[in-house]
Amino acid sequence: MSRQSVPRVFSRSGTGFAVLAAALLALTACGGPSGTPGAKTYTIAFISQGTSNSWAAQLDAVARKAAKADGVKLVYFNGQGDATKQLPEIDTAIAQKPDAIVLVPLGGAADTGPVERAMSQNIKVILCDSTITSQNYTSLVTPHAETAAVPLAQWLADKMNHQGNLLYIGGLPGNTTTITYDQGFNSVMQKYPNIHIINGGNANYSISTAKQLAATAIASGKTFTGAWGVGGEAVTGLMQALIDAKVSPAPPIGGAAATNGILRLAIENKMEVASLQFPPTSSQVCIDTAFKAVKGETVPKSVNISELPQYGPILPPLDKYYKPQFSDDMYVGTDSVLTVDELKALNLVK
Amino acid sequence: MKPLDRPEPGFHLSAFAASQNRDDREPRPVSGSSSPGNPVRAPGAVRLAHESVVSTWLRLPPTVRGYGLPIGASLLVAAVVAVVEPGFYRPANLHVVMQQYAVLGLVTLGQVLVLLVSGIDLSVGAVMNAALITIALMNHYNENLLLLSLVLCILIGAGVGVTNGLLVSLRNVPPFAATLGMTACVQGAILVYTKGIPAGNIPTALRPIALDGIGIVPFSLLICLAIGLMVIVFLSRGSYGRTIYAVGRSPEVARRVGISTTAVRVSAYMLCGVFAALAGIILSAYVGYVDPAIGGTYNLQSIAAAVVGGVSFIGGEGRPAGALIGALFLLTVLNVTTLSSLNPFTQLIVQGVVMLVAVSLFHLVKRSSIA
Repeated sequence: MSRQSVPRVFSRSGTGFAVLAAALLALTACGGPSGTPGAKTYTIAFISQGTSNSWAAQLDAVARKAAKADGVKLVYFNGQGDATKQLPEIDTAIAQKPDAIVLVPLGGAADTGPVERAMSQNIKVILCDSTITSQNYTSLVTPHAETAAVPLAQWLADKMNHQGNLLYIGGLPGNTTTITYDQGFNSVMQKYPNIHIINGGNANYSISTAKQLAATAIASGKTFTGAWGVGGEAVTGLMQALIDAKVSPAPPIGGAAATNGILRLAIENKMEVASLQFPPTSSQVCIDTAFKAVKGETVPKSVNISELPQYGPILPPLDKYYKPQFSDDMYVGTDSVLTVDELKALNLVK
Repeated sequence: MKPLDRPEPGFHLSAFAASQNRDDREPRPVSGSSSPGNPVRAPGAVRLAHESVVSTWLRLPPTVRGYGLPIGASLLVAAVVAVVEPGFYRPANLHVVMQQYAVLGLVTLGQVLVLLVSGIDLSVGAVMNAALITIALMNHYNENLLLLSLVLCILIGAGVGVTNGLLVSLRNVPPFAATLGMTACVQGAILVYTKGIPAGNIPTALRPIALDGIGIVPFSLLICLAIGLMVIVFLSRGSYGRTIYAVGRSPEVARRVGISTTAVRVSAYMLCGVFAALAGIILSAYVGYVDPAIGGTYNLQSIAAAVVGGVSFIGGEGRPAGALIGALFLLTVLNVTTLSSLNPFTQLIVQGVVMLVAVSLFHLVKRSSIA
């Protein structure tokens, strides 16, 4: 660079140039993804479950925070809560040639092809919360039935004295999380032949559907000594149906992820509910795993998030877990990774 | 070709009114169905039996023929249910059925109006979601705004309906595309407003609408039936009903006789939106919890109920009472399959088969009536 081309402010003195150079060097040193000068900024495509429910919204918020902390560029793809809508998003993401893809699969079988295409193009693929029908991925971050659903199902079976009618409200058919929870539930219940499972139908992760199914089952006149719902929505619908039908005492209920609302309903109506502290913070583990993978570090093929300290069964008494300052939609434990301000931005603070 | 596509010279609305109900036409001789120009391949005995059934059917009064199938199907289902699942008739279960019927009935009534003007509304579910979100957010911290939130729900429903109607009528957007696009807009607006996390509260003061009532009959059902009665009367007795059928059968002819097809279509979509909002309010009261996907299955359920009840996709044909019976039929099937504790996958098959049989039967009987 000739001296004439140097901006005037710097041409008067070499001091300004030196300051700029030092500042640039400092910025490079601090802003790199791993703190290494000149390090590459990695791009991670986050193909989410999408704008479908509060779980997904919290999962997305945690993913964005984790990406910011790791210094990676996160490109967001919206699965819109539908496997068929998510598929083209995966293909679009692959076309952008990111360093890694973090995918929350909505259709285990449907997503297998695109994931294998991504792997063949040397894109690291981290499966988050749910799996596909192939082993051809980089890492799977998900709960395991043994550590997630089994303790809850065992608690419920014990509460039922291993006998009686159990009202079951299912999740979303084909969804791998539903399958995982069903496996855990069935592995326990098959030990107790005197527990008769009354299948109330699939709620498809909808509170209103769960309520309608449960209300119908309750109105049939059968006596239930226990109830099980796959997912927070199913459990909430079950509880609302029992409350509105004035079933007293309400049978013990087991189910999946605990929300603040489930705890509130249980405490206010003196119901016994066992749920799982299963905050949507798995996206943090997923992003961190993807970051390690793109840096060339070895990552485990399978990460069992239900063994992490943020996860675990929530059994009565529930008062110690309920946080009245947060809204019903907050999944128990989310406040361990998001600050109050971040929760407020998500409408999760009252 | 529909009868009114080629109007006679001097055709006017009263002439249209006189002929608006195709079932009112005198039945053609049954022998026509087996004439050389219209061959029937059945062998002699079977053919005679078929002709006898059709002949008996055609001798019935038009009103009986109009409602015959849905009522007959419902009675048949009622008899089958009494044998297969007697628990259905428990007062507690009937109460639940009535609670759920009030919602589906209202949405179906709106869908009928739109189907009658050759339209379809796939945004009713989104309007129901919007109603719930409006109630939940406006009554988050206190319930003083309950009445205002209910009025706003109705206005949102009407606004969505009017927009749908204008898109279909003035911009010639196919009803399917217009209402599907509107669904995306409404859902998008909900997401923007709630940031994907719909906090809020369903006021306890609202809940008696769905949970309480007279005996086992919930107030929500009384609301639904009152509105249903009004729709039946307006469509069968008033000039509004005649214009609805006229626009549905042949917009061109309707225009020629001085009917504002735009106004009629927009009003049908608007009423559909209002009824969907009302259904959303009642369902919110029933569920009692903030569920942003509350309207999930009602788009297709309302269309299915209307079709089972004899409402045609091509417009201008069908009755609201038939659709209400269709909704009852549909809900009975759903309820009984749930009560049966069948595997959910098997439940779906049973529901699907029963629906297909019902719709096929309806069209078979209808074709016989017209033959």
